[in-house]
Amino acid sequence: MSAIHPSAGSLSPRRPNYRAVTVGTARAWLARREVQLILVTVAIFAITTVHDPSFFSAGNISFLLADAMAVAIIAVGQTLVMLTRGIDLSVAPVLGTAALAVGFLAQNHHLTPLEGVPLALAIGAAMGLGNGAMVAMAGIPPIIATLGSLAVYGGVQAIVAHGQEVVTLPPAYFNLGNGDLVSGIAYLGLIGLGITLLFAVVLWFTRFGRAVYAVGNNAEAARRAGINVKRITAMTYVLCGALAGIAGLVFLAHVGSADSTSGTDSNVELTAIAAALIGGSTLTGGKGGVIGSYLAAIFLEVALAALVDFRIQPIWEPAGVGVLILAAVMTDSTTGRPSLRVGLKSLLQRPGARA
Amino acid sequence: MSVSVKPRGLIRRRDVTNDQWWMGSLVLLLIAELLYFSIAVQGFWGGGTGMLDQTEYFLDIGVMALGSAFVIFGGDIDLSCGAMASFVGIVMAELWKQGLDIWLAAALALAIAALIGLIQGLIIALFRLESLLVTLATQFILGSLATAIGGGYPPYGFPHSFGSLAGTGTLGPIPLQIFWFAGLGWISFLLIHRTAFGRSLILLGHSREAARYAGVSVSWTRVRAFVLCALFSGLAGVLIAGTYNSVRDDLGDALLLPAITTVVLGGVDIFGGRGHLAGVVFSAFVLGFLYQGLLIEGASQLTANMVGGVVLVVALTLKLTLEQRQGGAALSERLRLRFARGGSP
Repeated sequence: MSAIHPSAGSLSPRRPNYRAVTVGTARAWLARREVQLILVTVAIFAITTVHDPSFFSAGNISFLLADAMAVAIIAVGQTLVMLTRGIDLSVAPVLGTAALAVGFLAQNHHLTPLEGVPLALAIGAAMGLGNGAMVAMAGIPPIIATLGSLAVYGGVQAIVAHGQEVVTLPPAYFNLGNGDLVSGIAYLGLIGLGITLLFAVVLWFTRFGRAVYAVGNNAEAARRAGINVKRITAMTYVLCGALAGIAGLVFLAHVGSADSTSGTDSNVELTAIAAALIGGSTLTGGKGGVIGSYLAAIFLEVALAALVDFRIQPIWEPAGVGVLILAAVMTDSTTGRPSLRVGLKSLLQRPGARA
Repeated sequence: MSVSVKPRGLIRRRDVTNDQWWMGSLVLLLIAELLYFSIAVQGFWGGGTGMLDQTEYFLDIGVMALGSAFVIFGGDIDLSCGAMASFVGIVMAELWKQGLDIWLAAALALAIAALIGLIQGLIIALFRLESLLVTLATQFILGSLATAIGGGYPPYGFPHSFGSLAGTGTLGPIPLQIFWFAGLGWISFLLIHRTAFGRSLILLGHSREAARYAGVSVSWTRVRAFVLCALFSGLAGVLIAGTYNSVRDDLGDALLLPAITTVVLGGVDIFGGRGHLAGVVFSAFVLGFLYQGLLIEGASQLTANMVGGVVLVVALTLKLTLEQRQGGAALSERLRLRFARGGSP
């Protein structure tokens, strides 16, 4: 490529545009979804605190943090799957099944939360493996495969529940799910942060992490570069399932109960997908990261709590989530979408004209 | 902007054959299922009419599936169908409570649904957004709207003529809902397989790029598909309201996933551009009778869903494996080859 005729001009390899990736300028920082989310969350907090000073209390902050974590942890797993251009609709019953299994053992056999971790991980990973096998091995489109497993795992959850529910748990669970390390910092918030940072490091600095991005950007190119696309894809579903299992444990500890429809009844899978999308991930893969998803889950929680604080009825919460998804995708400056003007033109033009 | 061009041919002979094979299998599955349940499950057969009566409990899913089929044929997806059905049911009931004639109320509610579908389609087409994202958002918003409009105790007890015509009425032994479904299915069939709109829709499901070069207005075709989907979803909501003689703010929510399952089991490619509407009609009956049979047998709703999920995954795995193994050959050819070689793949 060195002997390019000067007249080749624009075809010659140019120096990469470093400005676009420089982290120094304020503009570049503001374009980052993570920074935007922190700013907006802080702004909502400030506005709501002016309205109601008790919103900015250690107890409330700690509660919001803990309350957001089940969704945040699932959103981290969902992000992994979405990075490979997939989607996992089946996380809600995975959460529910793990919560039930751990909950029953804790209720009847005094299983400690720490002993519950490997169990929740194993249940989640096994269910995730099912999804991974369908998507990576059988080649079923992810949305269909996980639509199927959503129904199947929902049945599994009902079988595990066997008509009973978890109601009384050892106090260790309550302490974990609602306790603080220092006032204002909930244990669960820290656990979620730890998981998020772990996966952020995995995605940035490990061979597996880079392969995940490569598969999402261009699976064929990744394959030719020697990446085992099927294994990487399957791995993301296993990890997503395992994280949903952990989220089940977190849910159990925070809520203190579980039944045959836990998770599914609160549409946790859709909220987690919403969080991942608001956090900057896309359905087309290869873009986004887990930190954005973690922050977006907290942002959603704070925004919806603020709604309640402003005496807006909780029935508008879903609408709030919907509007936030729309706002997030429409303000995403990095997707290279055409402007509204171009869109209008394409709609109004005479059929046959070039868009 | 780059649109991924899928490496497939358009309407080739073998696609038609594949569709026929798929539909044939569905019909066989349906017959086997009906035979099994009639023999094994007490109360399923009911002298034939009992069996027909059960269609009232699942044809609303079929109507929603017909609507979803439009957007799925075009390579999109609509997650707001379920919430749309709930919304239309609630709006209709509230308008009726305000003193409007029930049929006028239903027509008005459907008009509002079409308008929302139009806005939704415009947002998707104008901003070139992923339909999954936008409809996920609309689903949340419509859900809230339905709850807000309906309140805690939405109206019930509609006029008898409505409950009969849009719900549980029969013509001789045949439930009226079958006529609704047949009529809507026939209209959908004509729209998709016999009009320029339908051809454009299938083409852009194949490849947006190709559709644009072929002179199809991609945006406008997508918008029309979303309007139709909203209308059909709304109709499903009206039918549920008629059947149960009441509405709830979440009456359609549970229908969304079964409806998409129906479309996919019907042989329509989830990425659009392939399939036949008749498959959707057959699979509506296959899945519907499966659910009903299991429920009458004493299974729980969750177990019935589970079996539905297994059927979906197994059917798709079978289809995809056969397609992959034999490369370009027609499904019939693949099946023949597969079984002729004594089962070894």
